[in-house]
Amino acid sequence: MKTRIEEMEGKIIATLEGELDTAAAMEVEKELQPLYENKGRDIVIECGKLEYIASSGLRILLGILKSTKAGGNKVTLRNMNDDIKNVFKMTGLINLFDIE
Amino acid sequence: MKNLLNRILKSSKLRSGLTLIITAAVLLELIAALQYMYAHRVLERELEHRAETEMTLKAILIKGTLQKTEQMLRDYSWDIIDALDNPDSVASELAFLVDNNREILSSGMAFVPNYYPSKGYWYEPFAKIENGKLICRQLGDESHDYTQLDFYNQALETGKPTWADPYVDVASNNVEDTLITTHSMPIIDKYGKLAGVFAIDVSLDWLSDTINARHAYPSSFDLLLTEGGDLVCRPKASHINAGDVSLVHQLINDSSVVRHKSQSGITTIIEFRSPYDGEKGYIFYANMKGKPHWQLAVACYEKEVYAPLKRMRLMLSLAMLAAMGLLGLIVYRTARSERRLHRAAVERERIGGELRIARNLQMSMLPVKYPAFPDRTDVDVRGLLMPAREVGGDLYDFFIRDEKLFFAIGDVSGKGVPSALVMAIAHALFYSTSSHESNPAYIMRDLNETASRNNDSNMFVTFFIGVLDLPTGRLRYCNAGHEIPIIIGKQLSLLPVEANLPLGIIGDFNYEVQEIILEPNSSLFLYTDGLTEAMDDEHLQFGLQRSMDALMPYCAMKNPSLEKMLESVRNEVNTFVDGADQSDDLTMLVISYTPKSETLVSHESITLTNDVSQVPDLNNFVTSFLSRLHVDASIEGQVKLAVEEAVVNVMNYAYPMGTQGSITLDAASDGTFLKFVITDSGKAFDPTEGGRVDTTLSAEERPIGGLGIFLVRELMDSINYERIDGKNILTLKKSINHK
Repeated sequence: MKTRIEEMEGKIIATLEGELDTAAAMEVEKELQPLYENKGRDIVIECGKLEYIASSGLRILLGILKSTKAGGNKVTLRNMNDDIKNVFKMTGLINLFDIE
Repeated sequence: MKNLLNRILKSSKLRSGLTLIITAAVLLELIAALQYMYAHRVLERELEHRAETEMTLKAILIKGTLQKTEQMLRDYSWDIIDALDNPDSVASELAFLVDNNREILSSGMAFVPNYYPSKGYWYEPFAKIENGKLICRQLGDESHDYTQLDFYNQALETGKPTWADPYVDVASNNVEDTLITTHSMPIIDKYGKLAGVFAIDVSLDWLSDTINARHAYPSSFDLLLTEGGDLVCRPKASHINAGDVSLVHQLINDSSVVRHKSQSGITTIIEFRSPYDGEKGYIFYANMKGKPHWQLAVACYEKEVYAPLKRMRLMLSLAMLAAMGLLGLIVYRTARSERRLHRAAVERERIGGELRIARNLQMSMLPVKYPAFPDRTDVDVRGLLMPAREVGGDLYDFFIRDEKLFFAIGDVSGKGVPSALVMAIAHALFYSTSSHESNPAYIMRDLNETASRNNDSNMFVTFFIGVLDLPTGRLRYCNAGHEIPIIIGKQLSLLPVEANLPLGIIGDFNYEVQEIILEPNSSLFLYTDGLTEAMDDEHLQFGLQRSMDALMPYCAMKNPSLEKMLESVRNEVNTFVDGADQSDDLTMLVISYTPKSETLVSHESITLTNDVSQVPDLNNFVTSFLSRLHVDASIEGQVKLAVEEAVVNVMNYAYPMGTQGSITLDAASDGTFLKFVITDSGKAFDPTEGGRVDTTLSAEERPIGGLGIFLVRELMDSINYERIDGKNILTLKKSINHK
């Protein structure tokens, strides 16, 4: 499981790659810590190479969403595969994020 | 009044009543009018009759009195004739006559002129009583030329005794005016020569008495008129209006006035109207028979003639009014009571309607679709509720959650709407609590707490809750004073049941769970006391034994029809009560358990510890297991996620923080479905009691966690938890048959 954080055009781009299972979640949460502390910038999470996500991963994304929204910014999920999109649909989270 | 009228017009009953009253009033009025007309006629005849009777009577009285005078004149005329020879003896005859007959005021003999040459041209000896003294005089002289007077001339003209018209003697008015008349007759002497006219004057004071006595009607008055129409005698009574008397007198003499003969033809009738008070009256008059040719008249006033009629009419009107009032009252009360009945009927109808609605509601809360679980072969359930009234206090319900059949049956003390309400509440509570609680004792405690709270109506509920674990046949149950269920296996037996207390009595009663293993191909029969206490006409109860007898044929029966089973018990009960009123709700619920043994073709397992870092191993195990089965990629992803979530859940919660424990995952399949069994030896923990997520919440409201078990439920076909022999056993299943 790999993560990368970049800044581009005033936005934070976080790229997730691999399987975000429960075992990986703790590490990913640490790596994405900057996204929690983000102020005044929109966040894009690039999911093109994300193969799998468990509920622990969903918790991380929901946590980022909550703090970003509290600052008046949005979180966009980009390029999710069908299986992952399905999980987001199932849990209703798809309505809370911006989806590209 | 307006209100009353409106009400009358609105009510059809009152309307028809009103019609009745009006018809009755019209009929009565018609009868009264006919009666009035008839009575009027009768009174009209009565009037004529009375008037004529009065006149006849008075005429007879007058004539009788006058005849005495006539007789006297005739009698004394012989003495006069005898005395003619001596002019002075005539005078003494007269004196004798007057002196001896008090009713004769005076008497005279008016000789034809020069009858006695010695007495000169006029000679009229005259005797009279004046102031009690007899006075004899000769009246005839130049100043008293009797040959010019009526009494003289009339007597001579007729040659017969004649009555002169009465006159008032003012000459001798020492006391009061005296009405006087003169009766005279010509006297022929022995030689056949006319001697003169013999006359006696009589007072007519008695006439007035006669005229004024005894009237046909109290206000009537009589008049006596001369042939020429002069008033002889007028009424004396003070209440008689002088104007009326004059009018009557005048009308009789006025030939232009319309008059008609009475029915008898005796009298003539003239109508008049009093100038005094406008009162209408009738004058009856006729000539007296014989001499004198006086006319007698009777005047009567209409108001008196028809007074009885008016009285009668008044009475009749009052009676009619009273009758109408009474009739109205009767109609009104009848209509009102009918309206009340109608209103009561409407109310009954309304309540009946509401009860029907309530019944429909209650019935709609019951599972009614059968077969209850068409997709399942391992279990079938069927219920039947027959309320004693429209709505009852009985209830049953069942549903499957996480491979467990939750079922309940209950009976609220009492029947009807209040019991049904309590039952509805119990029902709702059972349903909501069971959705997150699998232990029937806990569900029961929850229900009991609610039922005991504010139980002002002191209604209690007997209740039985069962939770049948379908994969294992483990039946956990809890009883709250309900009837003991019957197990229909190879033979009939009673489920071992603690009676416990019904719900709603002690709020913190400690209900404990009981459990047995329900053998495959057996059934559980539950019922309310409406079955065992169903009574026939002699209050004999159906009882448990008869219930069991009815179920006996279903022992050891493979795949019994639950519908037929309930039907046959119902028929037995109906036959038993034989038409007696159903006194209580009757409810039956039967569960048949027919699990199929699984033949698993693949079977693999992995043992992990409670450490999430082992999740990649778990996922690899699952992925490889699925790939060997050639499971569709999308299914593979879902199953992988579900199993990870279920296992992680156990890793996180089964063992206390910091202690290590093992978790075993068994994966199996028969080619049509996948089955994963996660077993641990940690503390009892039922993940199926959680995992409900509101997916509609906003980002702010959304809790971070709780998605794991939710995803398991969503991704797998079934999740089932059991704690057996100190182990938590969580079973996940998913079909891999693509439909």
